[in-house]
Amino acid sequence: MTIDPSIGPDRARAVFDDELAAVSSAAALQDLRHRWIARSGSWVAAFMERLASAPPAEKKLLGRGANELKKHVEAGLAARETALASTRRPAGAVDITLPGRRPALGFRHPLSLIREEVGGIFSRLGYQVLEGPEIEDDYHNFEALNMPEEHPARDMQDTLYLAEPLQPASYEAPTRGRAPKGPQPLTLLRTHTSAMQIRQMERQDPPVRLVAIGPVYRRDNLDLTHTPMFHQVEGLVVGRGVTLADLKGTLTSMAAALFGQDQAVRFRPSFFPYTEPSAEVDIRCIRCRAAAAPCASAGAGSRSSGAAWCTRRSSSSSATTLPRSPGSPSAWASSAWPCSSGASRTSACSTRTTCASWSSSADEGPVFVAP
Amino acid sequence: MKVLYSWLREFVDVGKPAEEVGRRLSLRGLALEGLDPAGEGDAVLDVDVTANRPDCLSTRGIAREIATIYGLPLKEPPALWQAEAAAGGSTDGVTVAIDAPDLCTRFAAAVADVRMGPSPAWMQARLVACGVRPISNIVDITNYVLLEIGQPMHAYDQARLAGASLTARLARAGEQTVTLDGKSRSMGAEMLVIADAAESQGVAGVMGGAHSEVSDDTRRIVFEAACFDARSVRTTSKRLGLRTEASMRFERGADPTAQLTAIRRACALLEQIGAGSPAAPPVDVIARPWQPRVIHLARPRIAGLLGMDVPDAEVARILAALGFTATAVDGGWQVAAPGWRVDMHRDVDLIEEIGRHHGFEHLPTTFPGVQQAPAPSDPRIGRDARARRAAQAAGFSEAISFAFIEARHAAPFAGTDAPVALANPLSEKFAVMRPSLVPGLVDAVSHNRRHGRRDIQLFEIGTRFAPRGETRALACAWTGLATPDHGSGGRRDVDFFDIKGFAELLGAAFDVEFSVDAPAEGSIEANVLVPGRAASVRVGDRAIGWLGQLQPAIGDAHDVPANDVIYAAEVDLDALTAAAPIDTRRSRPLPRFPTAVRDIAMLVDESLSAATVRGTIQAGTPDTLVSVVEFDRYQGKGIPEGKVSLALRLTFQSADRTLTDAEVDAATAAVVEVLARAFGAIRR
Repeated sequence: MTIDPSIGPDRARAVFDDELAAVSSAAALQDLRHRWIARSGSWVAAFMERLASAPPAEKKLLGRGANELKKHVEAGLAARETALASTRRPAGAVDITLPGRRPALGFRHPLSLIREEVGGIFSRLGYQVLEGPEIEDDYHNFEALNMPEEHPARDMQDTLYLAEPLQPASYEAPTRGRAPKGPQPLTLLRTHTSAMQIRQMERQDPPVRLVAIGPVYRRDNLDLTHTPMFHQVEGLVVGRGVTLADLKGTLTSMAAALFGQDQAVRFRPSFFPYTEPSAEVDIRCIRCRAAAAPCASAGAGSRSSGAAWCTRRSSSSSATTLPRSPGSPSAWASSAWPCSSGASRTSACSTRTTCASWSSSADEGPVFVAP
Repeated sequence: MKVLYSWLREFVDVGKPAEEVGRRLSLRGLALEGLDPAGEGDAVLDVDVTANRPDCLSTRGIAREIATIYGLPLKEPPALWQAEAAAGGSTDGVTVAIDAPDLCTRFAAAVADVRMGPSPAWMQARLVACGVRPISNIVDITNYVLLEIGQPMHAYDQARLAGASLTARLARAGEQTVTLDGKSRSMGAEMLVIADAAESQGVAGVMGGAHSEVSDDTRRIVFEAACFDARSVRTTSKRLGLRTEASMRFERGADPTAQLTAIRRACALLEQIGAGSPAAPPVDVIARPWQPRVIHLARPRIAGLLGMDVPDAEVARILAALGFTATAVDGGWQVAAPGWRVDMHRDVDLIEEIGRHHGFEHLPTTFPGVQQAPAPSDPRIGRDARARRAAQAAGFSEAISFAFIEARHAAPFAGTDAPVALANPLSEKFAVMRPSLVPGLVDAVSHNRRHGRRDIQLFEIGTRFAPRGETRALACAWTGLATPDHGSGGRRDVDFFDIKGFAELLGAAFDVEFSVDAPAEGSIEANVLVPGRAASVRVGDRAIGWLGQLQPAIGDAHDVPANDVIYAAEVDLDALTAAAPIDTRRSRPLPRFPTAVRDIAMLVDESLSAATVRGTIQAGTPDTLVSVVEFDRYQGKGIPEGKVSLALRLTFQSADRTLTDAEVDAATAAVVEVLARAFGAIRR
């Protein structure tokens, strides 16, 4: 309202309180200060003028009222100024809610993570972790593993062969074993990591305790449950007094480390040409928790002398059956096929995983589909 | 192997539901693959029989496992023709002989008068349930016996056999056999045939011949049940490309004791279904009498191998139920294996049987004892992990691509070597082994681009293949923005110095310094990189890789969108390891004296490379100069044509004293002097 001292100091106070409440910026506060306590033209100045011309009887009362009004206005302005200052952005302030300038952190491939994890588990159990050549000779891949010439796995339908045999770049004469003398021509892509066991046993006296990890190749067409290249982890223990029960303990602890402490493991008798006794190893489906659903399948067994056993598992299928908690949600998308009795054994619980950057070399989809 | 539950129950009186029986079988090594209802109360069990158990490719074999599991007796086949075999090799005018005793150890036969026609409905239903097509009463009987006891059989039309004789002999080279499927097959001299007096009437253990096949007109037949050598049948079947129910069983190993039983069972069925009757006693020609294999089983070996104790009574029970004859001796047993257990060679085979039926679920969980410290792991594992951490920290995401790629994608990266090609690739897309990881990464870049991603930074650590051998490499590909987009600006596409910076970071992770040269003519990098943005990378004198901008033609070949700029690098990790210090756990004490910094700007020819300037400075100046940083390169106003102003930041430091201003100025002047003398450089 216009400045009108005739309303008296008490009503003026109420007017000031209303106007102060409406102030939201430093500039408006400055205007209000001017309007109320400037030396001239303000409410307080108007009261002073009126005081000068007031009859003596009213002077005392009016003077006290004007002084109180001035004090009230000053106090109100000061409080408001403090309040405004506390909400004002300091010089050079930034919007701290904008995203940070984050250095890019790459994502790991799930297979590489599982390789590292499995290698770590076996390292803690006192195993040597080995990798080996991916192009192999016939002896180490088949012959030495009780897979004679007419064995079906050696068929052109199942194994990828080189068009021209290669000579090995280096030759280490074995100190043990029945390997043919001299370097053997390299003729095929290894179909399992088992060749590494033979190579290590040729150069090392027992006891042996190793796991071999790496890609292996089979002539399977790429589809949802097959891939011509997948990853395998394989263990070998040679020593006196080693038993099948030791194998069960080792694989149980591996399953617990990979899939959770209460993960059940089941040994099912089976046949592999290079182990005896042999077992298929099932773990309980980690998604539906169905009793001992065979989702990740592995072979395990004991070598003829009773002093050795070997285990083999496909890390591709472990990678895709792992619970997926770490990583940002935008980076991983996975979908599971539910366990069903109709599905084939190795694919019953497989998962297809896609990462933020597809790393496929095939049009059909990511390469790390469970075998 | 499909088996009918009601048929199984003729051999073992198990009262449990088929599902439960199937589940128990799975836990004892015969995995149940499927269970289908078959009429009222009946079911077909589809059992996965492992290659070592041909005896379980029969109803009786699986029934024996069930009998062992449930502790029930195993019954003999329901009806057998009770006739003793005639002495010698002749019966009712038909002569049977074995000419190749290594490949055919036993040949049983019977002659029967028959009335051809269809077999009865119950027999047909059983065959169909087990996946076999009914043909005629005689053929159906042979298949029925095969499914029931596992012995393959064949029936000949006796009227079509020249000289009324059957001989198991080696084929004559080039001899033709027309098999039942109507195909004429050329035999090799190592193959076994069943021949009459004139010619081959069938491929032994694989398929019978068309000439003597039974037909509607057949009045008299000869049943054959023989035992053929596994390896011989396996190679013959493979060479001819002919796999049959018979060959599948023979190549795994036939029971040498089952032949006469099969003949007796077939003749009993013949009479049972009214299809005919045997004309004379059977013949049973034995070239090599079967001797059971006797294996010594020492008691401590059982727990020693399995890690669990199995009571003696349980050992005896399991072995007896499976058909073994175990005689207790001091410290163990002498165990004779039955003829059908062709997989029994050593005591471990017996121990596996004992463990299997005692139950792997009873195995305790123990751990192998440690006898010595574990040998060190493959050093590549730790090395690759270190390289992987560097790449991940630099913003690259990890890819794993196929090791086989298209030949045209491999060619530019193979250099003078031909890529390692596969003889039987799955397709042209997987034809050769990758000589470089980069084609796979470019494929991945292309895949991502076509899925709408713009900024892509990928790396892979994997094996490269060349005729000289395998090498492990780290490769990376980078397209789009150099750094993540941000509201505050600074948006910039990846360029040469980003990829070079990553290579330097990788070198730093291994405590080595990378040097670069322009690629040599004819090198891989000269081939695949854009000239002027291409570098060969070495450590000292050792070439370890390359980096730069990929030729657009490479991207085009992988269907990368046109105008995409891809920077790539590939570093041979094996060569890097060889060049790196053996022990990288080195440290230096903190410097005790301060550094002094001088900035200078030198006017030099624009063609002069930074490396040359740096090398000249380092060769000719006091050893108090600890670092040279090129912090600006300026051309334009005030700089003559063809020249560039190079701004250098020189840092001086001494290990034993604080340098005085005068010393630092003198050292700076020495740097200026060196550059002036070498390149005619002028200080601005």
